[in-house]
Amino acid sequence: MRNVVIVGRDAAAWLTALGLKRAFGRQGVNVTVLELPSMVRSADVLVGLPTLEGLHRLLGLDTDDMLAATAGAYALGQQFANWSQARPPFVHAYDTHGAPIHRIDFLQHWLKARSEGMNVPLEEFSLGAAAAKHGRFVVHGDATSGFSKARAGYHLDASAYIRLVRQKAIELGVQRQAGTLGEVVRSDSGIVSVSLAGGEPLAADLFVDASGVDAVLIGKVLEQPLESWSPWFGCDRVLVTSGPKLNPLPAMSRISGFKAGWIGMFPLRDRTPVVAAYDSRRISDAEMLQSASVLCGMRLGDAFVAPCEPGMRSAPWTGNCVAIGEAAVVLEPLDAASLHMIHVGLSHLITLFPVSAEAMLEAEPFNTSMQNHARNLRDFQIVHYRLNGRLDEPFWDRARETPPPPELAAKLDLFAARGAVALYDDETFQEENWASVLIGHGLIPRGYDPQVDTLAPDELIAAFQRMLGFIASTVRDMPSVEAQLELFAPLPSNASF
Amino acid sequence: MPAPLKVVIVGGGTSGWMSAAALVAGLPPGLCEVRLVESDEIGIVGVGEATLPQIKDFNDHIGVDEADFMRQTQATFKLGIEFVDWGFKGSSYIHPFGVHGKPLGGVPFYQYWAKARLNGRVDDLGDYSLPIVASRQNRFAFPSTDEDGLSSNFAYAYHFDAHLYARFLRGFAEARGLRRTEGRIVDVTLKPEDGHIASIRLESGEVIAGDLFIDCSGFRSLLMGQALGVGYEDWTPWLPCDRAYAVPCERAGALTPYTRSTAREAGWQWRIPLQHRTGNGYVYSSRFISDDEAAATLLANLDGEAQGDPRPLRFQAGRRETSWSRNCIAIGLASGFLEPLESTSIYLIQVAITNLLKLLPGRAIDPALVSEFNRLIDVEYGRVRDFLILHYHLNGRDDAPLWRYCREMPVPDSLTSRMALFEHRGHIAKYKDGLFQPPSWLAVFVGQGLLPAGYDPLVDNVPQEHILRELDQFRADVAQTVEAMRDHGGFVADFCAAPANRPLSSRVAS
Repeated sequence: MRNVVIVGRDAAAWLTALGLKRAFGRQGVNVTVLELPSMVRSADVLVGLPTLEGLHRLLGLDTDDMLAATAGAYALGQQFANWSQARPPFVHAYDTHGAPIHRIDFLQHWLKARSEGMNVPLEEFSLGAAAAKHGRFVVHGDATSGFSKARAGYHLDASAYIRLVRQKAIELGVQRQAGTLGEVVRSDSGIVSVSLAGGEPLAADLFVDASGVDAVLIGKVLEQPLESWSPWFGCDRVLVTSGPKLNPLPAMSRISGFKAGWIGMFPLRDRTPVVAAYDSRRISDAEMLQSASVLCGMRLGDAFVAPCEPGMRSAPWTGNCVAIGEAAVVLEPLDAASLHMIHVGLSHLITLFPVSAEAMLEAEPFNTSMQNHARNLRDFQIVHYRLNGRLDEPFWDRARETPPPPELAAKLDLFAARGAVALYDDETFQEENWASVLIGHGLIPRGYDPQVDTLAPDELIAAFQRMLGFIASTVRDMPSVEAQLELFAPLPSNASF
Repeated sequence: MPAPLKVVIVGGGTSGWMSAAALVAGLPPGLCEVRLVESDEIGIVGVGEATLPQIKDFNDHIGVDEADFMRQTQATFKLGIEFVDWGFKGSSYIHPFGVHGKPLGGVPFYQYWAKARLNGRVDDLGDYSLPIVASRQNRFAFPSTDEDGLSSNFAYAYHFDAHLYARFLRGFAEARGLRRTEGRIVDVTLKPEDGHIASIRLESGEVIAGDLFIDCSGFRSLLMGQALGVGYEDWTPWLPCDRAYAVPCERAGALTPYTRSTAREAGWQWRIPLQHRTGNGYVYSSRFISDDEAAATLLANLDGEAQGDPRPLRFQAGRRETSWSRNCIAIGLASGFLEPLESTSIYLIQVAITNLLKLLPGRAIDPALVSEFNRLIDVEYGRVRDFLILHYHLNGRDDAPLWRYCREMPVPDSLTSRMALFEHRGHIAKYKDGLFQPPSWLAVFVGQGLLPAGYDPLVDNVPQEHILRELDQFRADVAQTVEAMRDHGGFVADFCAAPANRPLSSRVAS
């Protein structure tokens, strides 16, 4: 492998360029980005899971620097509101709930207590959820680390983030040519060369399609079809806009259902990006824009609208071309899916970087793993729709009635029976995350592990009270997310020197 | 608390008594009322005398004292399995309970080894594995608790007498309230409304009803196969061995801390060192050798004098289409058979028990629990199967038709692509569930002669001198650490000698 050409734009292209150059540049691998015009709008936000820090380590990026440069903020979880008329909002925090009692999972004890009338919501037993609701940041110590796995995810300004990643990549020696796509020459085994309009054709051993939904190589040239997942997602449009900064700075995003989709606020330190996904057959773009301001309760700036069709290409690696990001898989801008799928694609490409330009056997394990990741994450997103409780609204009635894919159906059945989570190969989210959204959306298991019946009720109540007391006293002493950010990732203008 | 769940275990043996012990000791008291029915007239198969490290988790979970259990089962320690003449005649390798080397820059150690080899370095991958080097010198020590150190980077299992282990667990379970009933089962009654098992009737006329039945009746699969008619999936096209002879012999020589499996003309022979004797058996395919010849081959290849005549066993590789059907769960041989080539029999029992405890039903059984149990067991069986097939398929032996057949037989696609990727660049995909992780696949691939023609390109980021230095250093560290380990025989004598095997001095002293 000598030459890699990345055709694309924005986060997928520049993260991949930086990642590949850092991993293989030392041994003489040349990385060139043919940069197509950006599709990022000024309002765009990137949402990262706590695992984004692992990607940053891989890329040699300092997460605090990234937060400082992008007016970034911590998000300890996501709050879901108005996904049901009857149920209260809930927080999906990146954390566990409670601690096991007599080696039995806390959730099982909670289910029993609930069946006997206890009405404390599950999230009250999550330190991460409590911190998120109070705008606090979890600094782990001896006392918390045995009880909680709370970690923060991130909100980042998309333009600033991409600018920084691009700058790092170029500093490291990534070549860049910008323009619009010219000619692509293909052969039986993949791509031979690509040129920008008016430019010289560029040959390479490996091509990366990071062009987003355009999929200029994997879709348009190699003709890998997009397997559409639209039936499970009613929305076909995404609107992005921005409002003023929120005070105090929230420690989570807030995703709210409305009659024809959902709208989310993803706070930054200098503004509040707003993203809405909706069904344009039920609400027009203009109506959506008007409603957005009302739904968020704030004045909004310029708005941008783009179509959205979730789905994936079953062979994102075909021949000598690997698709990363939305060229490979499109999900809704929920659950931090977009950036995470770039992360997964890039880290698999580094692990499976081909050893020979002639026979890329690596494509098979890469594709298998990407399919698993994408489908598991898709199923996580479908849960929000499938379990909605907005009755007598056609958009939501349809979402509730659409049968889930078989693996998700089995997962829902098992959880409904027992509160146990079936985890498959290559899951993004773990038991506690699934439990959090399933319970939050109202799927209360009808049974629980019979082992919990052997515990004396007094013992259970005492254990619950200890946990609640611990959480309350711990949260009181936590710093606010704003103070934590000020300490570790101050905005340039606020720097004290 | 609701009335206890009535659980009836049909059959003793390793699977029956492990299930019984786990249900009485691994669950809170009062939750289940467990009965076990077995007949002394029916022998137990119990070929699984060699185990995997997971058995220690099982024993720890139910609260078994290690030294006590080892004393009572004539047990010895096990650090891996030696495979002799697999792959090709004259070869020998050990599949260890541990990793080779330590990762460097996030890349597995063996990738660096692969590069060094392609550049002309001649050495043995086994030199970088502590349990392998210890095995070669018949040494043993418990892994240390220091997490980063070399001496914590391995695990161990046991060799024991499966009859004695079943007896030990019987005593353990009965002491905790398990009710055992002696008797032969003559009838099984199903409920007309849902086809669940209502009760079993014994020869004595006693009728035993239950909420949940665990079929540990061995190959006969009295409940799952016979009463419920659940079919059997045949895997003999891939795993052609269908018979075995087993015979113990007198001990001779040093006490080895590993099992040995020697490939023979029509199958393979096991050697399992216990304190008081050595267990042996020849697993063979009746298509390729006669019974008499197989028995003669076995008897001609023992360390010491045979203790009795070889005992014949018959089996069919494969498994029940489902392991949990209605209110019946099949555990052990009643749910499937995979030859003990990688000592998986007891592990598969344990996995079934662990999943049962995790998905323990109430009196009304939720079908979602059944589906999940069956899904998890499917994954385990399928992945163990592929790993076993690898041993047969990956061979260059031209001396016998069995080996030619196995080399040429079509194997599952997943296995073909695993082999191809390893050969291409040493890649071994991980899976979430499933027993054998990359270090195990590595040991067998390399041990049977499949060597990578390429390696992970990230390796090239480390200068070659540095790689060679790391390799030399690690090999020296392993050798030095093993020097400090004790002789296995002496370790066993001090830690857990069975009463009759204690050295004379200590018997006099006590």
